[in-house]
Amino acid sequence: MNTEMQHCPYTVMNIPGNTAVTSGTDVSVFERQQARMKWQQQQQQQESLFKGNDHQFRGLVEVKPDPGLQYGWPDFSDGCQGQGIPSLMEDHNLKKRKTHEDQKQKVVLKENSVKEKKIKGCSEENSAETSSKEKPKAVEGPKQEYIHVRARRGQATDSHSLAERVRREKISERMKYLQDLVPGCNKITGKAGMLDEIINYVQSLQKQVEFLSMKLATLQPRLDFDIDSLIMKEMFEVPAVAYSAEVANSAYFQVNSLLEMGNNPIDAMLRRSIGGPVSIPETFVVSSCFNQMQPGVTWDGDLHNLYRMEIQQDSSTIPFQPHKFTGLYEVSNLKMEL
Amino acid sequence: MSPPQQPTSINPNSLKIQLAYRFLHNLNNLNTKRSNLDNTRIRRSHRVKLAAYASMAYVVGSRRAWSRAILWKIRNRAVLARFKRVDHKITTPLRHHHVHAGSVKRRTPSCSNPKREYSDPFGNSGQEVKLRKLVPGSSTMDALGLLDETADYIKCLATQVEVMKNLVDLYSII
Repeated sequence: MNTEMQHCPYTVMNIPGNTAVTSGTDVSVFERQQARMKWQQQQQQQESLFKGNDHQFRGLVEVKPDPGLQYGWPDFSDGCQGQGIPSLMEDHNLKKRKTHEDQKQKVVLKENSVKEKKIKGCSEENSAETSSKEKPKAVEGPKQEYIHVRARRGQATDSHSLAERVRREKISERMKYLQDLVPGCNKITGKAGMLDEIINYVQSLQKQVEFLSMKLATLQPRLDFDIDSLIMKEMFEVPAVAYSAEVANSAYFQVNSLLEMGNNPIDAMLRRSIGGPVSIPETFVVSSCFNQMQPGVTWDGDLHNLYRMEIQQDSSTIPFQPHKFTGLYEVSNLKMEL
Repeated sequence: MSPPQQPTSINPNSLKIQLAYRFLHNLNNLNTKRSNLDNTRIRRSHRVKLAAYASMAYVVGSRRAWSRAILWKIRNRAVLARFKRVDHKITTPLRHHHVHAGSVKRRTPSCSNPKREYSDPFGNSGQEVKLRKLVPGSSTMDALGLLDETADYIKCLATQVEVMKNLVDLYSII
């Protein structure tokens, strides 16, 4: 060891942080020293640049992302307080742009009163150590779970108040969406009034469901009583497009389809109408059920088709007069529209 | 057109169609089930109502907390009834169920950000509590989640009401 030291006039100890120098010519060692000095200066510069960042990043509070991300709203999270950033930083391209559309940047970049909030994963920034020369666009690319918030001019830059503001804006966004959903509340502006309207609407919808279910429950077994009388009526009737008998016929048809097909009314209707597999045309019939009635549909040909299919079924003695039944006579139209 | 596969909440037509299909399916099943001998109107209407909610929740699936809550409530009706009679206290289901029914003991909302105030975020006294009672499965959510759930619940409920209205019209032609 001593011999080595004696040989090299420029020893390792002069250069901090360098333990790799062993031997060599004077010139090469000197060159290496100089290179190392330059490198260290650069490192120190970079360190001073990133010092502020590191403090911020290490003090991060990681918050869980908003679980209610359904409408594509970006996630907001609480951020840590911004440290005193040297003026170098502000000129630097490490500033992150916001993703929230509402918050416009009224801040002048060199204004010291504005602090930035950089909310980013530690790993990403550490890898950007060497990219001080690069534009930190890579940082903005993977916006995973955090959003970058910038304080507005003249507003509090406390992390809590910023987070509060973000949260309030999210709430107001969702209130606006609810305003579109709930009919008739365009004039109401306050949150309290909106909430009242929403509560009333939900309550009214639930009551409607209850009322309609009661109505449906009463309607369903009522068919039991009518079927006998209707059957008697239809036995002796010729299938004709007689308007007087239409209602009775349609009613009978519906009743029959609802009951005789083993409590599978929709399937029965579908089978009669299309005669194919049930799964596919079900949607058509159902959707046609909920379309409006289209008057003036020329469906004589369709009627014949349907009647023919009707005959092919088991219960073929039933006269088929689905005039008022909105579902069936639109099925053939739907078949064309396919 | 393909048969309905996954419900797309963006397209209201497909939601309506799937709701209608599912609701009719449930209604048909209702009539053929074992306990339908008692044809009192109240029980029947109650069953129809259950079918409506069940179909609504089924179409939405488990993407939403309210649908999960409804499904869990319906599927465990018998168990819940038994517990109600015996214990007067109902514990939460198995841990892997991310479901909280309305009658289940409330989990403390400390899982989310503890800084938030669940009792009074809007500054209004009883409204949020009322809303939580109305929307199923919303007891363990913060205000934002609650608004989300409410919006989705309103949308599905409105579609379900429309489907039922059309059905009633259909049936009442007779």
